Amino acid sequence: MSVLIRKGFPTRKPQVWLRQTDNENAVFDPETEVVHLMNSTATAIWVLCDGETTPDEMIDAICELSGLPREVVVEDVRRILLRFEEADILTWKE
Amino acid sequence: MMADGDGVIRVLLADEQSLFRDAVKVVLSSESDLLVVGEAGDGIQAVSEAERVRPDVALLDASLPNCDGIRATQQISLRVPTCRVIVFSAQEDEQILVQALEAGASGYLSKGSALVDLIDATRAVHRGDALIPPRMLGALLKRLIHRRRERDEALKRMSKLTRREREVLALLSQGSDNDGIAQHLVISPETARTHIQNVLGKLGVHSRLEAAAFVTQNGLLDDLAGVTG
Repeated sequence: MSVLIRKGFPTRKPQVWLRQTDNENAVFDPETEVVHLMNSTATAIWVLCDGETTPDEMIDAICELSGLPREVVVEDVRRILLRFEEADILTWKE
Repeated sequence: MMADGDGVIRVLLADEQSLFRDAVKVVLSSESDLLVVGEAGDGIQAVSEAERVRPDVALLDASLPNCDGIRATQQISLRVPTCRVIVFSAQEDEQILVQALEAGASGYLSKGSALVDLIDATRAVHRGDALIPPRMLGALLKRLIHRRRERDEALKRMSKLTRREREVLALLSQGSDNDGIAQHLVISPETARTHIQNVLGKLGVHSRLEAAAFVTQNGLLDDLAGVTG
């Protein structure tokens, strides 16, 4: 089963940088000067948005690691990628 | 998953430094639901103590002397399967994290973590949760994806082998030489040699040793199991 928003490789915008501390994860977009706070799952997915990893691969790896049902992970990944897109910090490579 | 009727989590603590053990023991013992039931200063002792006291949770330093924390985790997971293991190391180390999880650990912490994190971690793994430092999650997922790609590629290459060649590869990876393979498959040594050359070519490796490593490194032993009858 594969339920995804689109095909391709989600890619972080190169100018956006990630800051991780013990208590907080955030990305900062210097173009818009906006800081986006993230939970650990969103941060992990952000790291995987390297332009070489498909959403399906992300889902498989998260399922393997967490043991969560695939449909739950699919929905989480879909939602998080959509948020990155809405925040304009993500592009898609075909 | 409670080990005894009163809900107390029984903990084994293994670290080379007795000062560290004492400090952690004091902190854990101040919690009403945690009880340190065993201690060990090296890996061998950790495994034997785990078998003796059968703790609910074992806290193991990755760099224990005489059988490191990773190998001790493997042994404890095999011998005391009800025991959940947390491995900790001096610094956050992705390699150690992966090795610990593969060895059967349920959690990983660095010694830089707060003691309250260790307490929470002990309770969490006892509940059945897995515990990975959030900062390491992305890198760990990347590694899993990389490994999966390698395995998929390896399976693709292995799918080019005929059934006979898979039998030869299985025997090769078990350490058989040409004569052994010939004898097992009831073929001539020359034919065995030809099969081996074909296997090496299709796998894209240059030696029998490399072929055997290809099988073990990609976790393909199970895929070959049974083909030699």
